[in-house]
Amino acid sequence: MGLHVGIDFGTSNSGVAIYRGKKIHVLPIDAKNLVPEVVKTILYITRDYRHFIGQEAVELYYKQNINRQRRFVKKWTGEIDYHGADMHYVRDVYVYVDELQPGRLMQYIKTALRSEKYTGTQVFGRFYSLSDIISTYLHALKHRAESLLGEEINGVTLGRPVSFSQNPDLDRKAQETLQQAAIEAGFKQVDFELEPIAAALYYELSLNKPQNVLIFDFGGGTLDLTVMHLGDPHTRRVFASGGISIAGSDFDRAIIQKRMLPHFGKGAVQQDPEIISLINIIPDWAALPELSTPLAKTALERAIQAKKSPVRLKALESLIFNDLAFSFYNMVEATKIALSSQGVVVAAMKEKDLDIWELYTRSQFEKDILEHQEQIEKVLMDTISASGMEPGQIDAVVKTGGSSNIPVFIEMLGRVFGPDKVRSSDVFNSVTAGLAIKAYQTM
Amino acid sequence: MISQDKIDEWIREVQERPASAELIIRYIANRLSELASREEELAAENIELLSGRKVENYESRIASLEYQLELLKRQFAGEVILPSAEPSMKPSVETLNLLVYNHLGQVLRLETDPVGLVPGQTLAQLHSETPHEELLPNLLVISSLEELLFIFDSGRTVAMPVAQIPLSDPENLNWKQTFIQEPRIKEELAAIQPIAKMTLYEASVQASRRGFVKKMKASFLAAHIAENYIGSGVKLPADKTLGLTFGMSDDLFVMVSREGYIFSMQVDRLPSAIEEVIRLGITDHIVSAFMATHKASLLFITQNGKAVHRDTSWLEAAGSFKTKGQPLLSKERREAGIRIIGATPIEEEDWGVILHGDGTIKVYQLSELMAAGSVPAAQPSISLLSFSSFHRPEARQEQVSEKSATRS
Repeated sequence: MGLHVGIDFGTSNSGVAIYRGKKIHVLPIDAKNLVPEVVKTILYITRDYRHFIGQEAVELYYKQNINRQRRFVKKWTGEIDYHGADMHYVRDVYVYVDELQPGRLMQYIKTALRSEKYTGTQVFGRFYSLSDIISTYLHALKHRAESLLGEEINGVTLGRPVSFSQNPDLDRKAQETLQQAAIEAGFKQVDFELEPIAAALYYELSLNKPQNVLIFDFGGGTLDLTVMHLGDPHTRRVFASGGISIAGSDFDRAIIQKRMLPHFGKGAVQQDPEIISLINIIPDWAALPELSTPLAKTALERAIQAKKSPVRLKALESLIFNDLAFSFYNMVEATKIALSSQGVVVAAMKEKDLDIWELYTRSQFEKDILEHQEQIEKVLMDTISASGMEPGQIDAVVKTGGSSNIPVFIEMLGRVFGPDKVRSSDVFNSVTAGLAIKAYQTM
Repeated sequence: MISQDKIDEWIREVQERPASAELIIRYIANRLSELASREEELAAENIELLSGRKVENYESRIASLEYQLELLKRQFAGEVILPSAEPSMKPSVETLNLLVYNHLGQVLRLETDPVGLVPGQTLAQLHSETPHEELLPNLLVISSLEELLFIFDSGRTVAMPVAQIPLSDPENLNWKQTFIQEPRIKEELAAIQPIAKMTLYEASVQASRRGFVKKMKASFLAAHIAENYIGSGVKLPADKTLGLTFGMSDDLFVMVSREGYIFSMQVDRLPSAIEEVIRLGITDHIVSAFMATHKASLLFITQNGKAVHRDTSWLEAAGSFKTKGQPLLSKERREAGIRIIGATPIEEEDWGVILHGDGTIKVYQLSELMAAGSVPAAQPSISLLSFSSFHRPEARQEQVSEKSATRS
């Protein structure tokens, strides 16, 4: 009999854990990641159909796309019917396809499960159904976990949101697609657990009487909130669930927008839309390699020659063309993580033509993400309200996920519910850990 | 990029969390110290600029680049011809030139039309009062448009176009009537290296007879050549400069010793400082150094006329320096006195020229040598002294076929 693991297949990040009755092991599934227990839910498929996930996918994407050649060809993709009052005609639709594109990067795969219309995509000459895409990712994840454990994995408990969709048919279809993908990935036994329940399982083990609990699951891509009754598996009940697509990666983007872009000419370069658009793309890590075109290089060199903030534009040129994007985004994420434990940090990076030194304080960070804070607090209050309870009726708040350690959110939860009610999960990722416990119970 | 707003934000942080104050001061102090030292570096550079020293450096670099450009022009016959001033000037015609030179700096130059070359043909007969073995003659076949670098064992260099060396009489080829690039006191001519294509390569590798090498960027070497000094490339008193070779960083550098030991390593792994890369026996020394990557085969010529052929893939690249080397000859053959006189990477259409012990200089098609396994005209009693390969220009080959078609 093979192993049975818990897999949190998240929108932005995923994780794998195993529980054998004594201790939960959240596997260091991505050694190249800043937090190895978490792997980015990113799939990169190369032209020769090799598959890469996580940081490896990101690295290869950068390596293959920075400074590469491009050749756009016009391809027919379909036609549009135009119906007028007394006429009808058809027009062909063309797109320009880069035929030298070395691979295809896929993000937010899980979001596609919520879509009614999305069935899959063409990757070079092959059609990948949604189930194929997810199974490719899960297969790579399974393979990595097996290498770490040294044993074959047969079964999996997958997490799923309280609802993929308000439409019950679509919700059922999403779970079936996920199940089919897991089977195609090589798991012989597949079962599911709601993500908030999984997040609470570890906490529930410590309870001796039922409680109303708020699960505050705040990771890299989304914030998921669930108000539920816990303590007895037979009387578990979800009162309300909510969430918002704001999390760690949005905070990274805010840091780049507010603190890093001036190092690349934002504010200093005026009246040059071409250069300004280059600068504004920096926060989008996936789009950055697409800037490394001869056209962009010419535009930058022209602006540098014209002495339009030459030092900062030289830094921008270096970031785009010297394969520094990967180190840059990692540096920003490390800065954000460091601010959870200390009040001041220096965001620094020194490379050819690039010298970033930014003294960054926690209060500056809190100011930069103020807008997000307000949105998060609103969603929190809405979810509590939807549960039909008052904050005082919540017995405990269980926070989990990397972003839940950001002090300003701990303070917010303390202010709304009382600091003594805010519990930190003992493990890095409670959802993954809870799924491992569920997997153990299922065996 | 420290604005007043930022300073206010830092002050706010200190007001909210006084513990941050110490960290802020430390970070700013470290940055100030880093910036101060950088400012000092920039100030020093500014002084150099103001005093003109930097300008001199740049001028020297410009001179070096102009020199390289001149070489390339010569190589591609792209020199500007001024028709109004010199209407009679004819464009230079590329011919093959055979150079025979020795350590005294004596150089004999013969010109030959590559169209008429026949395998086994005697190009010239070298007459000498002293036995040829004592003069250690070397052969080099190059284009008439080539630029030559005379490398002396002191590290001194002299550059000149081939055409500046006077032609010798092929009927009466002897050391008495030669061009001399005279060595200075205690100096010997180590090698003559064609350098017209030097700028097309990334690296140069200087080798010594005792197996030491030194790698240098080709652009740096050009700057040194402009100053007529590239360094001797030797560390031991008993060692001597062997020569130079050029290649790209992923090419395979190969050295072959007289007793048949081979060292090979990718160029970018070679040392930039002078290092002993192969440990040779006390009686052994390197006879050939070249780049092997782009040619499929290697040919080794022994003094008794054997032509040993190996595929380039046979080479085992060394993993470290000071290796014993990959043996080509068996122990028995080595003990029997078989020695390598030259080695080269070859393509099918390559040719070779060999100096026999009796002074005969003959030309061979290397594919024929490879097939036969020996030098056809070699006599067992007369050993071979020197060997060099060359590539006949393609245009010339077309002319050969045209010529043979006309004959038929």
